[in-house]
Amino acid sequence: MSDINSEYEKLFYEALRIRLVEEKIIELYPDDKIQSPVHLSIGQEAVAVGLCSQLKLDDWLFINYRGHAFYLAKGGPLPELFAELYGKRTGLSKGKAGSMHLAAPKHGVMGASAVVGSTISHAVGAALASKIRGEDRIFITVFGDGATEQGTYHESLNFASLHNLPVLFLCENNGLAVHSPLGERQAFSLAAHAKAYGIESVLVEDGYDFVKLSAICEEILGQIKVKQRPILLEVKTCRYKEHVGPGEDFEAGYRELSEVKAWKAKDPLELDKRLIAKFTPAISREIDAAVEFAESSPFPTIDDLLTDVL
Amino acid sequence: MAMAEAMEDPRTLLIGQGVTDFKGIWGTTTGLAQKFPKRVIETPLSEDGVAGICIGASLNGMYPINTHIRADFGLLIFNQLINLAAKYRYMFGGLFEIPMLFRMVIGRSWGQGAQHSQSFQSLLGHIPGLVVLMPSNPQSIIQSYRHARKNHKGPVVMFEHRLMYELEFEDKPNQDLLNLFGSRIDREGDHLTIVATSVMVLEAARAADYLSQYGINAEIIDLHSISHPDHDLIFNSVKKTGRLLVADTSWLPYGVAAEMSRVIAERDPSILKRPIKSLGMQSAPCPTAKTLEDLYYPDVCDIVSASASLVKGRENHNIPLPPKQAMTDFYKHFKGPF
Repeated sequence: MSDINSEYEKLFYEALRIRLVEEKIIELYPDDKIQSPVHLSIGQEAVAVGLCSQLKLDDWLFINYRGHAFYLAKGGPLPELFAELYGKRTGLSKGKAGSMHLAAPKHGVMGASAVVGSTISHAVGAALASKIRGEDRIFITVFGDGATEQGTYHESLNFASLHNLPVLFLCENNGLAVHSPLGERQAFSLAAHAKAYGIESVLVEDGYDFVKLSAICEEILGQIKVKQRPILLEVKTCRYKEHVGPGEDFEAGYRELSEVKAWKAKDPLELDKRLIAKFTPAISREIDAAVEFAESSPFPTIDDLLTDVL
Repeated sequence: MAMAEAMEDPRTLLIGQGVTDFKGIWGTTTGLAQKFPKRVIETPLSEDGVAGICIGASLNGMYPINTHIRADFGLLIFNQLINLAAKYRYMFGGLFEIPMLFRMVIGRSWGQGAQHSQSFQSLLGHIPGLVVLMPSNPQSIIQSYRHARKNHKGPVVMFEHRLMYELEFEDKPNQDLLNLFGSRIDREGDHLTIVATSVMVLEAARAADYLSQYGINAEIIDLHSISHPDHDLIFNSVKKTGRLLVADTSWLPYGVAAEMSRVIAERDPSILKRPIKSLGMQSAPCPTAKTLEDLYYPDVCDIVSASASLVKGRENHNIPLPPKQAMTDFYKHFKGPF
C-alpha cells in the first residue's frame, strides 16, 4: 500500500480502490467475460468506507445486491471477487453467486440477496442469537431506500426494538428504486417511522464525506453497544450509474444529470486529483493482479453443478 | 414432548405465533416458555420477518424451530423460505450452513374453510435445497424432529397434520427408523401398491384392513419424505403388484401423484398392469359447510373403491363400500373451534 499520511488519506484510499475496481468492471464488461448483472456502487463508496472503518473483523454486515463497495470495505478479498464475477471455480462462491450474492463470512460479510430488503431480518436474527448467549456483539444491515418500503423492514424494526437488539440499520438513500424516485414511492418519513417503533435515527446529508461518516458511525456504534438498542442511520447518497449495468441512462428521463453533477462537485473522489494520482498506480497493480487471477482460473465443471444443494 | 427434548439442546430457539400461549400449539410447546424463557419466543404477526430472523439466528449458531399453526400462514414466509433459506448453501458456494426447522400444521375439517386447510407439499417439494417431510403418525413426527436437529445442516419443512395431535402412541427413542430421506413400507401386500402421504397413510391402513376381508392385499408405502422419496422402494413395489394408487392430502395437478407417475413412467411403465389411479382434494378451494367438506376430501371409502377397481380391472368392482364417516369423527377426539 502506498504511503498514507492521515485518516483522510486512509479512507480516501479505500474509497478510491472501490471506485477503480468498479471502473475496471466497466472496462471489462464489453468483453462479456462477466456474464451476469452488476449493480455498481460508484458514487456511494463513502458510505461503505465510513462504516467499515469502524467495524471489526467479527462484526457481521448483511449486505445486498449492490454490494461491491461494502464487500471490499469490509475486507473481502479482491482476487476471489473478480474470479466470482468471471464465473470461475476460484471465486468466492465457486461461481455460483456472481455480483449479486457476495459473501465472505471470514471477513464478516454475510450473504447478499437480490430480493430487495430480504437480508434486513437476518441481521436482527443474528443479533437475537448473540443476545440469547449473552455475547457483546453488534450487527449491521445495509439497504437502500427502496427496501424501507418492504414489510420486512417494518417487521425487523419492530422486533429489534421489542427485544432490545444491538442492530445498526443503515439506509443508503440514493433517492431511487430502480428507476422510481422517492416521491412516487413513499408517504412516510424514515425518521418519524423509526421513532414510532422507539428507534432513534441519525440523518447524514453529505454522504460523500467519508471522514464525517466514519466519525458518526463510531459514535452510533458506541451508542448501540452501550444502550443495547437498535439505531437507524440514514445517509443521503448518489448513484452515478444506471440501476444495473456499466453505463449511464440519463437520456431515459427519469432523473436529471444536473443532480449527479452537483453531487460530483462535492465528491472527494472527483476533486482530489493529487491523491488520485498518488494512489492509482498501486491500486491498479492490485486490480490487474486480481483480474489476472480470475482470467487464469478454471471454470467450474459438471462436478460442481450439484454440490452444496442440501 | 419432541419440543421439550429439542429445547434441552442450548442451540434450539423455538419461535412462532402461539408458542408461549396457553394452547401451546396443540400442547406441543406447553410449559417450555417457563423453563426456557430466552429461547421460547412469542412473535409479532410478522411471518416473513420472523422467518428471516430464523435464518439470521441459524447463521449465528442457533437451531431455530419456527412454528405456523396453519400451513396457510406459512405462505407469508415463502420469500425467505424459497429465495433465501433453500438457496443459502448453494448460492454462496457452500460458505454457509443454516440448519433450521419449519413446522407447518395442516388443518382439516370441522369448518376450517379455504384458508385453514391447505397442504402445500408439492409447492415446496418442487424447490431444490429444501427437505420436505410429511410424517404419517406422531411417532414419526418425533423421530423426524430428532433426526433433523441432529443430522441435517439445512432447512427442513415439516407438514404436520392436525389430526395426529389427537392420536396416542408410544415413542421408541432407540428406533430411529425414519430419517429425512426416503420412504417406508407401512404394510406389505401383493395386489396393489398404495403410496400415501401423512394422514392418508392412516386412511390407507383402514382401507387395507377392510379390503383384506375381500381377498385384496394392499401394500402401503408411507412416502414420508416428499422432497426425497425412495424411488427404488416405490418402483420395486409397483413392479411386484403391477398396480399403483396414490393417496395424497392435497390437490392432484402437478402434485405428489403426478410425481409418483413420473417415477414409474420414466423408469418402466410396462410394469403397470392397470393405469395409475390417484386421490386428493377436489379441484376447488376447501368449502366450509360440513356436507361439502365431506365430499371434498378423499377418505377410506374412496381408497377402498379405487383399490378394488384397480385390482378387479373394472370400475364396477362389486365390493360393498364401508359406511361413509368423516375422518374427524373417526379420529374422534377432535372438535373445534381451534
